[in-house]
Amino acid sequence: MISRKLQYVVAALVLAILAMGFYLVHLKRKAEFLATPPATQALTAPVNGPAGGMTLYLASDEDDSLRPSTISAAAPSDPGERGRLTLHTLIARYQQKDSAHLLGAAADVHDVYLLDPASAVVNLNAAFADSHRSGVEVEQLTVFSMVLTLKAQLPQLTRVRFLVEGKTRDTLAGHVDIAGWLDAAMVAEVAKDLK
Amino acid sequence: MSKVHPICARITTLLLLLLAVGFAAEPRRISVYTPQANFQVDILVRDGVDYVGLTDLLEPLGKLESRIAGSKLTLLFNGGSADFQNGKRQYRTSANTKLELPSNFLLVDGRGYIPAASITQILLHIADLSAEFHAAPRRLFVGATQFRYSAELRHTPSRLVLTFPLPVHPTSVIEKGRVRLLFRREPVVSNGADSVAYGDPFLLSTTFAEVPEGAEFVASVSQAATVSIGDGGRTVTISAVAPPLPATPPAGSPSASLASQPHPAASPAASPQSQAPRPRPFVILDAAHGGSETGAVFSPTLLEKTVNLALARRVQKELEARGIPVVLTRVADSLLTWDQRAISANTSHASLYVALHASSSGHGVRVYTAMVAPPQPGQSNRSFLPWELAQSPYLDKSGIAASMLAAECASEGLPVRSSSVPLHPLNSVTLAAVAVEVAPLGASANELGSPEYQQKIATALASAIASLRGKLEAAQ
Repeated sequence: MISRKLQYVVAALVLAILAMGFYLVHLKRKAEFLATPPATQALTAPVNGPAGGMTLYLASDEDDSLRPSTISAAAPSDPGERGRLTLHTLIARYQQKDSAHLLGAAADVHDVYLLDPASAVVNLNAAFADSHRSGVEVEQLTVFSMVLTLKAQLPQLTRVRFLVEGKTRDTLAGHVDIAGWLDAAMVAEVAKDLK
Repeated sequence: MSKVHPICARITTLLLLLLAVGFAAEPRRISVYTPQANFQVDILVRDGVDYVGLTDLLEPLGKLESRIAGSKLTLLFNGGSADFQNGKRQYRTSANTKLELPSNFLLVDGRGYIPAASITQILLHIADLSAEFHAAPRRLFVGATQFRYSAELRHTPSRLVLTFPLPVHPTSVIEKGRVRLLFRREPVVSNGADSVAYGDPFLLSTTFAEVPEGAEFVASVSQAATVSIGDGGRTVTISAVAPPLPATPPAGSPSASLASQPHPAASPAASPQSQAPRPRPFVILDAAHGGSETGAVFSPTLLEKTVNLALARRVQKELEARGIPVVLTRVADSLLTWDQRAISANTSHASLYVALHASSSGHGVRVYTAMVAPPQPGQSNRSFLPWELAQSPYLDKSGIAASMLAAECASEGLPVRSSSVPLHPLNSVTLAAVAVEVAPLGASANELGSPEYQQKIATALASAIASLRGKLEAAQ
């Protein structure tokens, strides 16, 4: 015969196990929620302007490819703002968990300045370059993806230059040279082999 | 008889113990030769039985997935599957056939191990691959990968020519009275005549034997010998070193006779290089990064700068074995600026510049040329150009070099891609210039630190560079 005292102890233990199980599930959900990158919010950033087709050249590390993908997004009339929003959207895509070419969660573009209709200067934040993975291929895909995406949105563009926090930087993350102007036509020509 | 002092005896015992521990620590491996790639798998010894990891063995051969539930391991390989149980001999295949291993299956740290003696059985039943396992030398030939050689003694002067159906790059060791060729990476097997007596004044006899993880060919010779590799690695010639010329060089100058001899493949007995004038290098290898500039960080102990230098040294060794003069921009963990690297290349009088990089992203090998505007009409390599456009007149040669490097890597079964990229210091190099970035074949960046993988890449790059030699030197 099992004593009543033992029955109480067993019941208390079963209850404790169940409570701990529920708490574990709660903690897991909380951790998953916190791990979700907030960058997707950028996709719905409020802008003025009619919605239109936006072509993003998306890189994939798996097969070293750059492929165009068209989405519907707001297109501000100001070319500089349009360029900034386009790159902002592109970067947000790369920050999604299932991205084939991950960028750091805090990476972003501050501004896109057009010196003239053919010359754009992209000012990146420090986190963009500091958190970027190091490697020729991985840096090339990022730079080419941004140049081609910008060119698709601003067809008159012939050259693009990158700054980090307003300053010239030799390389993106130790390899690809971003100190000078990049010829958009040459990038497009080389990128033909990346499809 | 004198007595051995007790302290001496203890020291000797200690040294012997240390030696024994040293030998015991040396990992034993099985060399695996497949039509796609050659690799090695470590042996795990349990209760006196040799085991090999299923993942190590099968992963390079196809699509592999393993699932562990308790003490059971389910293996999915190329559409087939098998179930193993830790500590049991019996296993079940997808055809619902019950089969037995010669010893128990092991599950250690989440990895499945099978007895080495059952490798061919496993490959046949799970992977549908026929294989031949040479247990004593620990060599596994998957499919019809093994090949034989033919040996021919030629006269005037006496020399032994070994011919192989595929390129080989043996390590040659020249000792007094014999020449040893060690085949570590090639699936060379006996041609049926393991021991031959020639009775030639130069070549006395030869023997062939499979040794642990490779094969060894030994030629007994009566005088100093040299080894040369020809026909793209398909022939290996063992010949006598020519006697020095009678002409006496001026006092203090390098020996003319030694300088005029061809560079033999690893023949320390025949070529004291310290006395020979340094030949003009054909290629300058630039191990990217160095010093405080680490490049990519693959793990706390594996840095890109280290991988690049290790790879450069392997390529250098492979090239020198083919008689191709080579220089390195750095031979230690030192920091060089891009301009220093470009200046080294431009003043080296070499025909080809190869920068070596490594990356954990993607797979295989990427070959890059400079992304610089092509030369304007009338512009030549004698025109004055800005420093950052100096590569422009050499783009054609660089393109040829990149194509050949890519083709050779592809022929070695490596995934390869060619492209152009704005990458220092390519734009400022005034000779054919390429950058090679090596990525792992699998998902783990640790593969970049693997000597086997580095050697595979180095062999492919060296073969391509060797085949470029005639083309680039003629153009120069």
